[in-house]
Amino acid sequence: MSKVVGIVNLHSNVSYKGLTEKRPVASVSFLGRYGIIDFVLSNMSNSNVDTVGVLIKEKPRSLFKHLGNGNSWNFNSKSGGVSLLYNEKYANNPMYNHDINNLVENIAFLEKSKADYVVVAPAHIITTMNYAEVVEAHQKSGAEITVVYQKIGNANTTFVGSDYLRIKGKQVVEIKQNKGNRKERNISLETYVFNTKVLLSLMNYAKKVSSFFDLKDTLAYICDERKIMAYEYKGFARCIDSYEAYYKTSLEFLDMDVNTQVFKSTWPIFTNTNDTPPTKYKKNAKVKKSFVANGVIVDGEVEGSILSRNVVIGKNAVVKNCIILNGSYVCPNAHLENVIIDKDARIEKMKELVSENDDEPLYVKEGDVV
Amino acid sequence: MSKEIVAMILAGGRGTRLEALTAKVAKPAVYFGGKYRIIDFPLSNCANSGIDVVGVLTQYESVLLGTYVGAGSKWGLDGNNSLAAILPARERGEVGATWYAGTADAIYQNISFLDQYDPEYVLILSGDHIYKMDYADMLAAHKAKGADLTVAVLNVSLKEASRFGIMNTNKDGTIYEFEEKPEKPKSTLASMGIYIFTYKELRKYLIEDAKDENSKHDFGMNIIPAMLNDDKKLYAYEFAGYWKDVGTVESLWQANMDLLADKELDLYNIKKDWKIYTEDTLSKPQIIGEEASVKNALITQGCIVNGEVEGSVLFNNVYIGEGAKVVDSVLMPGVLVEEGAEVYKAIVDEGVVIKSKEVVNKEAKTVELVSDNAR
Repeated sequence: MSKVVGIVNLHSNVSYKGLTEKRPVASVSFLGRYGIIDFVLSNMSNSNVDTVGVLIKEKPRSLFKHLGNGNSWNFNSKSGGVSLLYNEKYANNPMYNHDINNLVENIAFLEKSKADYVVVAPAHIITTMNYAEVVEAHQKSGAEITVVYQKIGNANTTFVGSDYLRIKGKQVVEIKQNKGNRKERNISLETYVFNTKVLLSLMNYAKKVSSFFDLKDTLAYICDERKIMAYEYKGFARCIDSYEAYYKTSLEFLDMDVNTQVFKSTWPIFTNTNDTPPTKYKKNAKVKKSFVANGVIVDGEVEGSILSRNVVIGKNAVVKNCIILNGSYVCPNAHLENVIIDKDARIEKMKELVSENDDEPLYVKEGDVV
Repeated sequence: MSKEIVAMILAGGRGTRLEALTAKVAKPAVYFGGKYRIIDFPLSNCANSGIDVVGVLTQYESVLLGTYVGAGSKWGLDGNNSLAAILPARERGEVGATWYAGTADAIYQNISFLDQYDPEYVLILSGDHIYKMDYADMLAAHKAKGADLTVAVLNVSLKEASRFGIMNTNKDGTIYEFEEKPEKPKSTLASMGIYIFTYKELRKYLIEDAKDENSKHDFGMNIIPAMLNDDKKLYAYEFAGYWKDVGTVESLWQANMDLLADKELDLYNIKKDWKIYTEDTLSKPQIIGEEASVKNALITQGCIVNGEVEGSVLFNNVYIGEGAKVVDSVLMPGVLVEEGAEVYKAIVDEGVVIKSKEVVNKEAKTVELVSDNAR
C-alpha cells in the first residue's frame, strides 16, 4: 500500500475582518462547535490519512491549542501524527511568507514521512472530499500532479479570486484567476495530489523562478510543461473567503437540505471536545430554526441563529440571524439582529444592535462589553 | 509509585429496581442528565479532587462499563502518574475464579492492587450516586481528626431516615453506632456510602473479615460494626450539597427533573466549582427546527427537534418529529419520536422508536418506562 501524507495549507489571502484579527481563519469558530480547520482535518482522517502537516501562516497560538497532539482527529497513532509547520523566518515578511518557503523551511517533515503521495488542501474551502478516491484516480492516471476542481454555475458571486482551470481531455492546460466575470467555471478547490518527488522538485524549481512564487503561482507557471490531471469533485463545497461569506455560509447550514449534505454518519466531523453540559432551555425560551451547541443557557427568543458553546441568552432577549461565539452573554430584553458576536463578549449596555442589511452583519469584538 | 490516597469505586451492582434500564448495562453505566453516565460523577469528583489513581470494581455487565472507563482519558486520568483501572471479579492464582461476595470482599480481592501504591488512605465510593463533592476536604478532616475511618453523611429528614444506614454520633462527630434502615432512627445522619479509611486499618479488617465464614463481607454490616466494637476512631463528615441515590426508575426520573428545576447540582459551573466530565460524541450541534417549541428543557448535541418539548431531558441524537409532543420526560440516546406522537412523564430507553401518533402515558400519574429490553 502506498503511503499518503496530508498537508493543510493555511497560506491563503483570506481574512474575516475582526474575526481574524487575533486568530487565523483556520481556528475561527464555525457552526457552534467546530473550527474552520476541522473540516479538512476530518476529511484527512476519514480518508485514512494519519500523518498531517499544517502549514501555519500566522497567529499560531489558538491553532496550537486547538490541534494538540491531533488525537481529536485520530492522528495520534504510532505511525502517524500532526506536525505544526511554522515558518518563523518569514513570519513578518508577507511577500516571502508563503507555502513553498514554509515547506522548504520544514523540509524535514516531507523527508521523514517516506510518503509516496502528498495531498495538499486548504482549510477555508469546506468540503467532504474523500482524498483516498482522489489519490486512487491520480495513481491510475499516471499524472505527476492532480488538481481537484468543481464545475460551478455561480462563479460570478462565489470563489471570486480563486483559480479556475482550462481543461483539455482530462489535463489542465491553464490555471487563471476567477475575476467573477462569468457564471460557469471549473473552479480549483486548491486541493492537489503530488507524487512526493515531484513536489520536492517543484519546491526547488519555484525558488529558481521567483522567490515570491507560491504553490498556486508555480502550478500556473508549469502547467503547460508537466502532466497535471484535473479531477472533478461533485460533492459539497463552499468557499469561505470573506467575512460576508462566513456569515452567509454559516446561516446556510440552518437549511436541513444543506447540513445533511455535510453531516453524515459515515463521514464524522471531528473536533476537540470541551465537556460542556447539555443546553438548557428555560421557561421563556422560544427557539426556532437554529443551531445550538452544548452548554448554552437560553431564556429568550432565538431565530435563524447559531449559538456556540456556553453562550447565555437572557430573559426575553430577542436574537435573530445572529452568530454568537463561545461564552458570550446577551442581557435580558436585548434585541439583536444580523450580528456576529465574537467570544466572551457581553451585551449589557446597548439593548439594541440591529443591522438593517443582512449582507453586512454588525461585529462585536472578542471580550468587549457593549 | 506510592500515593497518599487511592480511590476505589464499587461499580458491580445491577440495580434491579431500575428494571429494563439495567437489563443490559450495570447501574453505574445508566445514562443521566442529557449527556452523562452515572459513574461520570464519582470519576469527575476524583479527578477534580486531585485523586489520580482510581480502581473501578465491576461485576454485573462489566464489558460496557470497562470500555467506557477505559484508561480514564475522559476524566484526564490517563497521565504517566495517573490511572483508572478496571478491576472485574476474576480468576486469581491463589483461589481460582471468584465473584465479589460483598462490598468489603470486592476491596479485599484487590488488596494487591492497592498494595502497589502503598497508600496511606483509601477512599471507597459507590458508582451510582449523583453529586459533586471535594474529597480533598473530607481527607483533610480525616487527617485532622486522626481517624481510622471517616464516613460521609447527609442530614436527611426524620421521615426519610428509615430508608438509609444511619450513623449515630456524639457531639464531637465520633460515631458510636451504625443502624441499617432503623425503624425508629435516633439520628438523621445518613451514610452516603463514601468512606475514607486509613489503609493499614482497612487492610487488617478486610483480612480478618475474609476469614469469617458467617460474614456478609459488607462495609455497613460487617466492617464498620467490627471497627466500632474495637473502639476505633470513626468520624462522620457532614456533606451539605445535592446528593441522590438513583436507585429506582422514579428516583432516576426525579433526579433528571431536579436538573431542570435548578436544584443545587450545578452542571453549568455558575458557582465556579467544577465540571463533570464525560464522553463527548461526534454529533453535530443540536438543530431546533422552524416549527419547534422548546421550553424548560435540557437538550444535547446531535438532537433534531421539530416538535414541542417541555420539561424534558433529551440525550444525544434524539429526533422529535413535527407535531410531536414530549412533556416531563427523559429521552435516552437515539430515541426517535415520530410525527404527531405524544410522550408524557416517561423514561424512554436508548434507541426506542415511538411510532407516529402513538401516545405514551397520557394520564401521567406515575413514571412510565419505555424500553425494548425485557424487564
